[in-house]
Amino acid sequence: MEARSQFPALDRQIYGKPLIYFDNAATAQRPRSVLELQQRMCVEANGNIHRAIHRLSADATALYEAGREAVRSFINAPARENVIFTSGTTASINLVASCFAERYLKEGDRILISEAEHHSNLVSWQLACGRHGATLEVLPVDEDGEISLNELERRLQAAEGRIKLVALTHISNVLGVINPVREVIDIAHRYAVPVLLDGAQGVVHASVDVQALNCDFYAFSGHKIYAPTGIGVLYGKRKWLDAMPPYMGGGEMIETVTFEKTTYAPLPLKYEAGTQNYVAAACMAPALELSRQMAEDPALQAAQRTMQDFLLEELRKIDGLRLYGTPRNPECKIPLFSFTVEGAFAGDLAQILDKMGIAVRSGHMCAEPLLHRYGQTSMLRASLAPYNTLAECESFVASLRRAIKMLR
Amino acid sequence: MNTIQDIQAGIVEEFAVFTDWMDKYEYLIELGKGMPLIDEKDKTDEHLIKGCQSRVWLACKPENGRLRFSADSDAIITKGIISLLLKVYDNQTPADILAANEDFIGEIGLKENLSPTRANGLVSMIATIKEYAKRYAVVTPDPDPGSEMPGQAQHDEKGLEDEIILALRQVYDPEIPVNIYDLGLIYEIQADADGVVFVKMTLTAPNCPIADEVVAQVQEAVADVPGVKEVQVDLVFEPEWTTDRMSEEAKLELGML
Repeated sequence: MEARSQFPALDRQIYGKPLIYFDNAATAQRPRSVLELQQRMCVEANGNIHRAIHRLSADATALYEAGREAVRSFINAPARENVIFTSGTTASINLVASCFAERYLKEGDRILISEAEHHSNLVSWQLACGRHGATLEVLPVDEDGEISLNELERRLQAAEGRIKLVALTHISNVLGVINPVREVIDIAHRYAVPVLLDGAQGVVHASVDVQALNCDFYAFSGHKIYAPTGIGVLYGKRKWLDAMPPYMGGGEMIETVTFEKTTYAPLPLKYEAGTQNYVAAACMAPALELSRQMAEDPALQAAQRTMQDFLLEELRKIDGLRLYGTPRNPECKIPLFSFTVEGAFAGDLAQILDKMGIAVRSGHMCAEPLLHRYGQTSMLRASLAPYNTLAECESFVASLRRAIKMLR
Repeated sequence: MNTIQDIQAGIVEEFAVFTDWMDKYEYLIELGKGMPLIDEKDKTDEHLIKGCQSRVWLACKPENGRLRFSADSDAIITKGIISLLLKVYDNQTPADILAANEDFIGEIGLKENLSPTRANGLVSMIATIKEYAKRYAVVTPDPDPGSEMPGQAQHDEKGLEDEIILALRQVYDPEIPVNIYDLGLIYEIQADADGVVFVKMTLTAPNCPIADEVVAQVQEAVADVPGVKEVQVDLVFEPEWTTDRMSEEAKLELGML
């Protein structure tokens, strides 16, 4: 299949140069199918969902629920009740950090996270721990960016039941290393500890089956998987979603309301207070459909592998360049490269590359503790999507070499 | 001593020779690679301004009524721009610094570097420079932002005092076309959290025939200020009022300048 032509944003010129978009791990571009649905819904079905009887509302509701069904099927959740729409991964994690903690977290308890967490899966737990007198325990990553399953087991054993939840990234946004989440979940469950996976990157690059993984929660965003911004998903097992208290109070999450007492709506609406981003939710359907098609296209997958191998090889050739996230098994790496270059500060490189039409990410990438672990305050990151090309990779490497030369 | 405007115009002129971004960046990189802009011992956490992209250090020392700034960054292009900003702000008076703007950065085509989205610490650095200038220009501290409690009505005492001054500026001695505040008749204003206001004032002459009337007007004007519950006016004639107490505007108005 031909992927690139479906993304109009990629035709742009930046400062008179063709755009090379290598910041896909932050936000992916949107295909025509998504843009068209977005536009069509705003014109033809802009009515508040689940509320009114009129036709606009009914059409919007149907499209919203079709978006939910598309998500359910994409991650193989057992039922629509397991799929909560939120505003993004951060909101999904905060929902669990708030509601799970309120129900289960007591003084002296712990939440186990890894050293490679995005701030979303770190600060939310820090706040929850602070509110309930619990502490955050951190599972280290090694030089290559990998966690140790033995160490995980040791921590769970030593905690003697005080670890109430493991919150782990499926794939770190800095390291691009696929964590052994199946094994992590199996081990944690042996100690009766539920596992939340931050799937912001994971849902894009690994084919996610929440039932096969047996994870307790899975959180991800729409905008990294070709849908609009402002939509996210929280998958949760029924037993937790039923037991946890509601998150926000408001419209549509209720069954009956009196001033004395309110009974709550059944799942998934219990956690969907207020008017949802129904246009973006509906757009999950075409976005996930395209993602599935691209993942199943052997030619596209082979091309992506070629680009990834090319970049790895070329970046390694650059004098003074240090890569982070280099798993022993190359199959555990996604096409995402974070690095620092001796004598060329990441922010400076990003600024020069921008002038060359190349969009990359620089800075602490919302993972300050992880950068500190490697003795850095800032890194440069190039992250690819299936619509990128080998020619873009070649141009990126040449431009990077030129920028480094300017700075040294 | 060069004025801020002169220095800025000089920088704009300097950059006019560069026709493309590459030359500009190369020049900034050269500036950035140049001599250190801060003493190593001042590169402390206390002087650190954190941005997502890069870190900036800024230290300030007052010297003969002027502020001396030194700064650094771990990013070279940022450091190059810092050296331009220091050229402009270093060794200027707090008042001049507060009056200046950074439009010249836009004029030399580097505007995006000062946008908050760059997160390179430059925006915070300029804000900090202005904070230093404010600190050395006036001595009034900002009210503690965390002191407000929900459900407890509170008056911003500084704001209230400004409102009271505004009200006092509406009160005139019938014989003089300048309000009593700018005449320098108000010696002291105190407003407490309960809205009780104490005003210590004088009159131009102890035997003023309309003293009672002026005091009543002050009472009324201050009592009308929202948040004021009670007004106490203390009329004193010690220290004695002299024309030195008049504001510049008042002197001008009365043709005394």
